[in-house]
Amino acid sequence: MTDDIHTLAGAYALDAVNDIERAAFTRHVAGCESCAQEVAELRATAARLADATWSAPPPGMRAAVLARATRTRQEAPGARERDRTAVAAAQRRWRRWTAAAVAAGIIAVGGAAASYAIQEQRVRDERAAAEEARAEAAAIQDVLRAPDATLRRHAASTSGTVTVVDAPSRDAAVVLLDALPTPGAHKAYQLWLGHGGAMTSAGVLAAGQTSALIPRLGNADAVGVSLEPAGGSAQPTDVVGLVALT
Amino acid sequence: MGDRARWEPGPDRPRAVDAPHADDADVLLRAVARGDESAFARLYDLVAARVFGLVRRVLRDPAQAEEVTQEVLVEIWRTAARFDPTRGSATSWMFTIAHRRAVDRVRAEQAAADRVRRAAASAADTPYDEVVERATARLEQQQVRHCLDALTELQREAITLAYYGGYTYREVAELLDAGLPTVKTRMRDGLIRLRDCLGVSVA
Repeated sequence: MTDDIHTLAGAYALDAVNDIERAAFTRHVAGCESCAQEVAELRATAARLADATWSAPPPGMRAAVLARATRTRQEAPGARERDRTAVAAAQRRWRRWTAAAVAAGIIAVGGAAASYAIQEQRVRDERAAAEEARAEAAAIQDVLRAPDATLRRHAASTSGTVTVVDAPSRDAAVVLLDALPTPGAHKAYQLWLGHGGAMTSAGVLAAGQTSALIPRLGNADAVGVSLEPAGGSAQPTDVVGLVALT
Repeated sequence: MGDRARWEPGPDRPRAVDAPHADDADVLLRAVARGDESAFARLYDLVAARVFGLVRRVLRDPAQAEEVTQEVLVEIWRTAARFDPTRGSATSWMFTIAHRRAVDRVRAEQAAADRVRRAAASAADTPYDEVVERATARLEQQQVRHCLDALTELQREAITLAYYGGYTYREVAELLDAGLPTVKTRMRDGLIRLRDCLGVSVA
């Protein structure tokens, strides 16, 4: 799984990853000196691509930047060391879940959720959509980062895998459907929370949506996924995956 | 000596072919970290056109590019003490900040689907030809171009769409109709090839 995340080195150096992947990769590098060397070199290489992008700045910019600098307090030397300490601490916090989460492809969840939310709301104000997507991605990241986050994977009864990361401290869970069959026309996947065998709906996934945040877990003891008529059902008809939370 | 020979990395490479003004930028940035405002003015003169060019290329909107460029340059002033020479040159550190800020802005401002559509419409363009306003024959530009040309088409497209277009590797995969693992791998092995061609090394 180390190799798995390390293949992101090029995309990371090009800033072509989402926030969750960046965070996971940064922590990967913090614990791997040879990786840090490679990333530093690839970043330096990417920076050389800026050589080809000269463009004369607007005339007033020099004076404006210098004036802002005069008014801006600098970080004290030593910030770098504190930075590293913070990274090391963050790495310790993350180590527990990162390996498993990366193996499960969970790091993709934030990006998928963000692009889904953006697509869905294209007709609305773009800025608001981006804001919501960021909030959703942040909530997902918060669940994945929680100290008590637990990752559970179950094979779906059809094909593919249902992964649930639940964090009681956040009263929330993240669900990822990996390689499940597309629901087909007039069908959709619906999420469920189980309480001692009784199921309550936790939302219907849109076409193409493969991940979701369940914001209120309560005392649920299971997360279910079922195939339903588009629009969802009051009770699950065709359960394709049931993940116990205990 | 032909141009081709001068592009080859090696210890006897002519000084002018190396990263432009690398030493100057390193010295200036360290002075900036000590609060030297005149050093910051000289650093501005050295890098502002490239920072603005890069940010403008990613954002494509001159007004936004000006705003982000100012933020980047002030951030360089504010956080200069964080620069770690063991992790690369000063120019590399500054352009890493500039690229990241440009990408953050473009992703915040524009819905992913729209950006993918826009790129698809202009996919026929050679990305690294688009916004070079000054068609100067500067040696380092030629070197970057020469090394980009030495990549496979997929490596080059994946890298230029990500770096100049600000796309994530998922968007790049969609644009190029290629698999995610392939795109990730091409970005990494393409950058490694570029690194070797440009003779980039980090202490």
